[in-house]
Amino acid sequence: MDNVQDVFQETPQDVFRPPPMWRVFLREHWLHLLIVAVLIVLPHAIGWITGDSPFGRVRGSRVIMAGESTYWQAIFIEMFSLAVLVMSYNLMFGFTGVISFGHALFFGIGGYAVGIVVQYWDVDPNLAFIAGVLLVIFITSILGLLIGLLSLRLRGIYFAIFTLAIAEMAWLYAGSWRLTRGEDGLTINRLPEWIDPERSRLMVYYIGLALFVTAFLVIRRLVRSPAGAVFQAIRENEDRAKAIGYNTLRYKLLSIVVASVLAGLAGILMGILNKSARPELLGVTYTVDALLITIIGGVGTLAGPVVGTAGLHLLELWVRDSSIILSLNLGLFEFTLNFSQDWILIIGVVFVVVVLVFPYGLVGTWYRLRARVGDWWERRRATT
Amino acid sequence: MTDIILQSHSLRKEFGALVAVDDVDMSIRQNTLHSIIGPNGAGKTTFFNLLSGKYKPTGGRVMFKGQDITDMPFHRRAHMGIGRSFQITNIFPNLTILENVRLAAQAVSPQAFNFWGTVVHHKDLIDRAMHVLDIVGLAGDSLRLASVLPHGDKRKLELAILLAPDPDVLLLDEPTAGMASEQVPEIIGTIDNISKAHDKTVVMVEHNMSVVMGISDVITVMDQGRLLAEGTPSEIANNKTVQDVYLGRLYGDADELIGKDA
Ligand SMILES: Nc1ncnc2c1ncn2[C@@H]1O[C@H](COP(=O)(O)OP(=O)(O)OP(=O)(O)O)[C@@H](O)[C@H]1O
Ligand SMILES: [Mg+2]
Repeated sequence: MDNVQDVFQETPQDVFRPPPMWRVFLREHWLHLLIVAVLIVLPHAIGWITGDSPFGRVRGSRVIMAGESTYWQAIFIEMFSLAVLVMSYNLMFGFTGVISFGHALFFGIGGYAVGIVVQYWDVDPNLAFIAGVLLVIFITSILGLLIGLLSLRLRGIYFAIFTLAIAEMAWLYAGSWRLTRGEDGLTINRLPEWIDPERSRLMVYYIGLALFVTAFLVIRRLVRSPAGAVFQAIRENEDRAKAIGYNTLRYKLLSIVVASVLAGLAGILMGILNKSARPELLGVTYTVDALLITIIGGVGTLAGPVVGTAGLHLLELWVRDSSIILSLNLGLFEFTLNFSQDWILIIGVVFVVVVLVFPYGLVGTWYRLRARVGDWWERRRATT
Repeated sequence: MTDIILQSHSLRKEFGALVAVDDVDMSIRQNTLHSIIGPNGAGKTTFFNLLSGKYKPTGGRVMFKGQDITDMPFHRRAHMGIGRSFQITNIFPNLTILENVRLAAQAVSPQAFNFWGTVVHHKDLIDRAMHVLDIVGLAGDSLRLASVLPHGDKRKLELAILLAPDPDVLLLDEPTAGMASEQVPEIIGTIDNISKAHDKTVVMVEHNMSVVMGISDVITVMDQGRLLAEGTPSEIANNKTVQDVYLGRLYGDADELIGKDA
């Protein structure tokens, strides 16, 4: 759908009398800029409204992370991490059509690799942390490449099952190795101060925001490039893409490697926020979350994963916190629904309803509606 | 010899015990419209799959412009100048018509693996796509999704996809398959125009006899994986073996068919 938009903007009028650059930029990006501006100001705005400092509370000689602003910062940091995970999954699944059930592998590697380097390498914490991040980028790109190469032999569901097997194996090992501290998980408490969420959470918030924005821009750049157009061709019909002359493996590898690295970076952020790496990071739950949120938001749309993550995350928060109790008495039997206790059920129902009402996801359905209204408008204008 | 562009030498494909293509020697001359006919299961599609590289032959060679391409992978042959369409409509359904064709033009351009540019900035590819859409008569619909096109227009779109990279040889597998009979003359006219006005070599598998007789320069008849006969339309129509084995059996009186078109 994005392509349709772009081509519309290249109508002859635009070519002959181009509007000033800044207006083109604003027209295309006003919503992006607005969202980023809001996210930059948010911790301060919450602090200002509630009177709680965004830097935490001073308790004696220490600063502790308490109060509304820091509470919301933690929620948003988690959201940034999840959004990057979902966006990366969407790049592979939504844009390229590669289905993986083991994407959490890369997410978990992010948390664990940084944790292991920081905890076990006895050097300056800054150095250890940077080295950890580089190691994550290295491992996830190599592993992404290797797993991607297998997509040559394994197609569709077989590839998905294979990735699931690898991720589950990693999950099992992480839960039983001494190096990873088994099922208790690896505590990460030797982070440098600037990235420690218990000491400078606002900094972690902004780093998370930067990662989120960067991931969005990288994926956007990629899918609008000529190579990214081939991703979508592969999703639509891989054999045809080969027949017109594309070495489809190259494109799939590019997509899988970028998605793997981004998932690894998202995992680092989650590990930092939790100050631990636990086997769950590698578990199938995160993969399923990424898959479901992609579907809710809109498969193969840029904004879908962001809208889906924000929507679902904030909804879950509200439902778990709410004191709503519905009860229905039908004489014979009584039915009670306690929102905060039965939150999984509520989320499940919302998911089903969203999928039924928005068959292409929230953003995907919106695009289709907009295109149809635009079509109708064009035809009306043409006839009058 | 020099004007032979595509050639097979004892080309063979076995599926287990079944010999789908049985030592076929065929020469396609440049700028001709060469039709391949034959009953169902004769091995026509399999033969195309060997020429286009979708399948590896179990024996024999494929030569293109004097070069042995037998072991060249599927996607490389498009770059050499061989384009092929499929018996079953084969497009990118959820992309626009323009994008379907633009992708085909991009495949052979230096932009193919450019992952940092922006698609819409490469006007040359868009222009190229619009140009071939114009040839097949779909330019007006370029921004609609390919999936919403009626079947006949989807087949035209396939032709446009094929033409976009400006290939030398087009392999068309039943381009009129599944089309309503009143749409057939239009697409055949387009194919005829492509081969004559745009200097392309067209190899076409086709079941519709009146079509084949009307526009072909050469016709090859295949049966059970083997070449049965080869010649001009009138030679084929008058060929006794062909009449017995194929034309008579399937299409009744062949002369009548030719008469209709001549
Ligand atoms: N991938 C395959 N595996 C096994 N057998 C195959 C395969 N492809 C084709 N065949 C067999 O090879 C023979 C030739 O098939 P092919 O599709 O080439 O015939 P065709 O001449 O194109 O027929 P039609 O007119 O029905 O399209 C048939 O008996 C078919 O069943
Ligand atoms: Mg066939």
